[in-house]
Amino acid sequence: MENLKYSDILAQNQILRNTVKGIPYRISVLSNVTINSLKEILEYSLRVNQINPSIELGNYDNIIQDSSKYYDSDLVIVFFDMLNVVDSVSTFFENINDELYNNVKNKIYSEIDIIYENLKACPSVIINTFSSNYFIPNYTQKTKVETLVIELNNYLNEKKNINVSVINIDNIFIKIGIKQAIDFRLYNSSKAPYTLTFLKNYVAAINPIIYKNTGKLKKAIIFDCDNTLWKGIIGEDGIDKIDMSLNSHSGRYYNKVQQIAVFLSKRGVIVGICSKNNESDVTDVLLNHPDIILKDEYITIKKINWEDKASNLLSIASELNIGLDSIIFVDDSSFEINLIKEQIPEIVTIQVPSVIYEYPDFLLQRIFNYFNLRLNSEDAKKTIRYKQQAERESDKKNHKSIDGYLSSLNISLTISVNDLSQIPRIAQLTQKTNQFNITTRRYTENQILNFINNSQDNVFSVSVADKFGDNGITAVCILKTDLQNNKTCNIDTFLMSCRIIGRNIEFVLMDYIIYWLSSHNYTTVTAEFIPTKKNQQVQDFYSLNGFELIKEESDYKAYSLELSKFQPKNILYISVNFQELK
Amino acid sequence: MENVKSQITKVMSAVFEVPIEDITETSSVDSIDSWDSLKHLNLILALEEEFNIVIPDEEVGNLMNYKLIELIINECRK
Repeated sequence: MENLKYSDILAQNQILRNTVKGIPYRISVLSNVTINSLKEILEYSLRVNQINPSIELGNYDNIIQDSSKYYDSDLVIVFFDMLNVVDSVSTFFENINDELYNNVKNKIYSEIDIIYENLKACPSVIINTFSSNYFIPNYTQKTKVETLVIELNNYLNEKKNINVSVINIDNIFIKIGIKQAIDFRLYNSSKAPYTLTFLKNYVAAINPIIYKNTGKLKKAIIFDCDNTLWKGIIGEDGIDKIDMSLNSHSGRYYNKVQQIAVFLSKRGVIVGICSKNNESDVTDVLLNHPDIILKDEYITIKKINWEDKASNLLSIASELNIGLDSIIFVDDSSFEINLIKEQIPEIVTIQVPSVIYEYPDFLLQRIFNYFNLRLNSEDAKKTIRYKQQAERESDKKNHKSIDGYLSSLNISLTISVNDLSQIPRIAQLTQKTNQFNITTRRYTENQILNFINNSQDNVFSVSVADKFGDNGITAVCILKTDLQNNKTCNIDTFLMSCRIIGRNIEFVLMDYIIYWLSSHNYTTVTAEFIPTKKNQQVQDFYSLNGFELIKEESDYKAYSLELSKFQPKNILYISVNFQELK
Repeated sequence: MENVKSQITKVMSAVFEVPIEDITETSSVDSIDSWDSLKHLNLILALEEEFNIVIPDEEVGNLMNYKLIELIINECRK
């Protein structure tokens, strides 16, 4: 992205416009400077990831008014730039008196308040920090503009609602240099301060937020071994000659790469290995090498054999039950990288740079572009859970009938209604779940909070445990009372994480939802199935539960059920605990 | 020289979203409908990046047709 030419981005964007369809992701850009060139770059970065954008630019220097106009966009991006703030006050800000300084500060405080207030119901808001880096610094004391920027940024962070992400644009300025980022010539003539280099880097910086909002985040990173996790080739140099030592000149870089992999594993990213080697050799290194950091316990899946890597990556995706587009593959060989690019273009590839000291930072930069790495207690447990999944799979083989196997698991569900403490996890599940997701509606934490606070809506979250361990919150159902008829309720969302699929949990949950609705005096429930490329497995879910199909279109099926006609499945080997909090 | 022409054509086609064959040496702000002040800014940025040049401030407003673009780019590359 950052290395593509603007004219190529424009040309590619036109081609992609005709191929990427689907429900538009609506973005509004509010700014106090001219930011027109951002549009196509941002469109391109979304279309490449199969997101269909609809971008609207607000009027020039009209942030406050526009914030009340675009409150219903999926994402609002705010460029509140210090250049124009300072310009509107004085040609030389350092010369203003304290009274004016305080007036300016208080005016912007109240403008921030208005922006936050107007956009508080918006699913996602991105606002940039204020920067003083355009202005000449004094190296021993803070200038007035620097002081103002510090105060404003503190306010920005202090007052933000949970739907707001603050982007530190100074980090972009530092990365590319202020002269490469700001074009004062075009700022003076057209109030367009940002260079193409800045805009491309900016788009790369906000991409993880958009991936998160649209369910496009990566889930797994798969490493080759020789010359990728360590220096040298086991088969040629021997196990005692490969190098990943903290104390050797080039070993240090591989040590850091392994540290990065462990860091990811601890944050719930699936870390795997796909290598052409003798399996026993690599296992020996992972278990016994004195310098190994990426120990076996951090690795969820291994494909160590002499088959081609495309087939191995395909089986990794199917065994882990994740989409190909949620995988990143790292290898030093241009042969392997090109093979994957050609055979499985959905997989993002990272080739180890030939200049080895650049490798760890190059890797980390790409990782920050593709993973949203907030440490969240659910994510941290995930590596263990994927391992439990593998144990369950092998246990499955010991039982003849699937019901016998399931009842031997001692599955128990804990269903909570409107539990505020689970908002981050519930939002995350709506954003990440693709397969068992009947409507695939993506919600931010703020939207879930609104559902919980609204007396018409109810949010069910389900935590699942069995004899192998606790799966945590893995299913979500959102119910909305019909505004016209308070005896009718609509199932807005019904989803389950792929790691609990195949255990009849969905039927137990549906039995429970219907029971809950009856006991809350509802008489009818409505629902719809919205097909996507990934959710075919749930297309008959409502029919299987006795719902009546009332309308069918190519992109939509609507169902209805009289609660009195519902026949529960009564699956006795799964127990249910319930807690209601509203 | 031919190379400069084909690069200019490519950039103008991408910026104004018109087919390459519609860009000719007589193309101008009058013949291309999508050529407005905001697209003009994108054109300047794209040309500067393509040719690795900086177009002087006073020329930015003058690049209103293909011939002038070619002239100034060759001037800047000297």
